[in-house]
Amino acid sequence: MTHAGELISAYLDGELGRAEIDQLLDHLDGCGRCAAEMQDVQRVRSAVRSLPLLELPPGLIPEADAEVIPLHRNKGFLVGAAAAVVALVIAVAAIVTPSATPVSLEELNSRYAARASLDPAFGPAKVVVPYLSDFLE
Amino acid sequence: MTESVPLTWEEVARVYGRKIYNFAYRLTGNRDDAADLVQEVLLRVRKGLDSYQPGSFEGWLWRITRNAFLDDVRRRNRRPTAPLPEEVDRWDLASSPAADIEYSRISIGDDVQKALLELPFEFREAVVLCDIVGLSYEEIARAVAVPVGTVRSRIHRGRKLLRESLI
Repeated sequence: MTHAGELISAYLDGELGRAEIDQLLDHLDGCGRCAAEMQDVQRVRSAVRSLPLLELPPGLIPEADAEVIPLHRNKGFLVGAAAAVVALVIAVAAIVTPSATPVSLEELNSRYAARASLDPAFGPAKVVVPYLSDFLE
Repeated sequence: MTESVPLTWEEVARVYGRKIYNFAYRLTGNRDDAADLVQEVLLRVRKGLDSYQPGSFEGWLWRITRNAFLDDVRRRNRRPTAPLPEEVDRWDLASSPAADIEYSRISIGDDVQKALLELPFEFREAVVLCDIVGLSYEEIARAVAVPVGTVRSRIHRGRKLLRESLI
């Protein structure tokens, strides 16, 4: 080995196999230049790794602001679906009152589909849409 | 290679949003650009998640992130700019008892950030993916679409250049 070069970084990053590690350590024993380079590179590596990890700006990803992260997807999914059903019941109740502007089922469905395509937390169409049509009949 | 794959966009946003933000910030030195990049990447992930084939999720995600970053740089037709001082962090820290110690830590951080921005893009990218994002050389190779040997060389050369500008 002429000089250790990039083996030094790979060693510090845990990216070397046993044979390469032995080869590197043997070389470092007898080469002051590479031993010094190892120290320098180690210092730089630590400096970059200790840069503070910045927080996301609040509101950038609402999903990432949630304090409680559900451990199981299904739980979050059910809560989302339940919230969507409640929201729809309220919306439909408002629509079926005499003073409300008449809205066709098709339009409600398309509004629902538009919302569902924009908002992933909004419930699944296959659960809620039949519920909506039952209610209107 | 077996790894657990985040299945929903929300999970990707929660688990990786902050990492993507820090990747972009360390690459550009600009918080607004970093925030824009996070949103662009999550949009692309959302579009691509259905067609994603289980495999290296990290490689896939960081390839998307990198491409979005490069597209953005091309669109703006400018190189990443120098960072603003991290005023907000300083104000936050000024009220804490350890303010003096933290000031010096952040001031060193500013030097490191400045030195990172002076690196050629390929070296800066490799160093950030390794030391900030925490990817393995193999994952970086997949994300950047170069051989692992190239990743190894870029990281080492990047660190040596950083050393020169930090000393």
